[in-house]
Amino acid sequence: MKRFIQHQELARDSRFIRQDNTLSTAISELPDDVDTVVEVFEAFDPMIEKATRGTSAEPLYEEYGPSFALVALNDPLKPTDKAVKTRLMMRMHGIFVGELQALEGAGRSLWDFPDAPWEFKMNMARQCWDEARHVQIFEKLLDHVGAKPGMYPESTFLFECACSDDPAMRVAGVNRGLEGLACDVFRDMIRYAEEVGDEKMKQAIDFVLADELTHVRFGSEWVREFTKGDPDHYERAQEFRRRVDKQFSFGGSRSDRDDAAIPIATEVRREAGFTDQELEELSMLSAGGPSRETVKAAARILRERHKAKRAGDGASA
Amino acid sequence: MSEATRMYPGIGRDERTSFAPYSAFDIPEDLRELHGRYDVASTAKRVRNFRYTHEWMTMMMGGWLATIPELPVKTGLGKIIWESAVAADELGKRLPELRAGRNVATASQPANQGYADLIQEIASPESPDRTIEKLTGLFDVLMPHLIDVYEVTMRETDQICDAPTIELLDDATRKLRRHVAWGKEVLDRLCDTDDERERRTNRRREISEMLQACGGVCGDA
Repeated sequence: MKRFIQHQELARDSRFIRQDNTLSTAISELPDDVDTVVEVFEAFDPMIEKATRGTSAEPLYEEYGPSFALVALNDPLKPTDKAVKTRLMMRMHGIFVGELQALEGAGRSLWDFPDAPWEFKMNMARQCWDEARHVQIFEKLLDHVGAKPGMYPESTFLFECACSDDPAMRVAGVNRGLEGLACDVFRDMIRYAEEVGDEKMKQAIDFVLADELTHVRFGSEWVREFTKGDPDHYERAQEFRRRVDKQFSFGGSRSDRDDAAIPIATEVRREAGFTDQELEELSMLSAGGPSRETVKAAARILRERHKAKRAGDGASA
Repeated sequence: MSEATRMYPGIGRDERTSFAPYSAFDIPEDLRELHGRYDVASTAKRVRNFRYTHEWMTMMMGGWLATIPELPVKTGLGKIIWESAVAADELGKRLPELRAGRNVATASQPANQGYADLIQEIASPESPDRTIEKLTGLFDVLMPHLIDVYEVTMRETDQICDAPTIELLDDATRKLRRHVAWGKEVLDRLCDTDDERERRTNRRREISEMLQACGGVCGDA
């Protein structure tokens, strides 16, 4: 078995469809400008359409055009929102595939670094069990909210960004970047579960969040250990984590901004070992990207153009 | 104080306590005999061989998670990876107790090059269409072999002097049995055509032959 695999090599059963990761990269770099957002999404339109075919996202694409994912991602989960069920199912599915990739990332850390200290392997083995349980938990929660595995396209962006060939950067990416994002998302899901009085969801995700804190701590310890006595290496690992954090902010959707869909879980992250300086950096680097108003304006234009195009297609048929 | 109630021995011949004498193994009766097949050095070597296997099983299953498409196999392996790592860890902790040093880097050791090659062969299936080959080598051949060897070791080692190793192997064996049962159930389900059953049979034969040729986990089978 070779060391180091590409994200395209992650194995899935026939229920799953992939989404091209270049879209996620583009979203993470969008400016706060309506025209640019429209331009980028129009450029990605054929790719988005292809990825939705045969999934539950297809009717959403037909209704909203290529911006459906952007709108779903950028709006907070509110019980009063008329599209809350769809948003909830999409977010739950995103978490489910994220857990799957975290499981695979932890597993590959066991295989890719055979000379790593035994204690590192123990931590990664424990993380494999935890992430495997998380996949099982979110499969149950998918069912709980009326969704199922593979009903939306999967982006393997998380694995692609986080899985470096350098062990310090691997743990910086997977255990601090990816698991840190999980802390933010789960804190927000617990907030939502409390608002709707869903005790099952709240308790399950609270257990998962407790595990994620442990995984972030593994990351904090192993970044220090793998870069001990080498400040340049430490700085490169930190820079890698900043880049991953920027990508995982999805153009401000996960940030400290008032209009963020997923607020940064500062207290949880502090408990997990993030320093105040790291939290300030995260707050700054995640703040960029289009505002919700910009997203809404762009989505309106994209939807109108999509409808016009469909009407044109219908007329010429 | 009368002689009948003396609680502690005194210095004189007549100053013994009144408690009835038993050997250390009389209550309950202990039929174990001293002396086993393995001395301290050979026990340490066997523990290093066992640890090598559990460490590599942990690593190879971790590597496979990403290339196995069947979701229940991915999630089922998660716990087995952890339990295999715990077994390796516990075996490693036993080594300093057997005067085998404290350096964990040397704690794992294959019995011979043939066994090291066997482990790499078991780990080698890579592509997503080879779940049967991945699981067969490990769950149909290597783990049952470990159970056999651990049982022999537990039976033939010094039952009193080497009781800590017996405890470790007893725990590892219980978990290995559970893992083998899980693997068998998964493989039975995955192999539901003649072609797939033949793939399992062929892989089992191939790995069993290699295992036999190298003498197994301790190189002495």
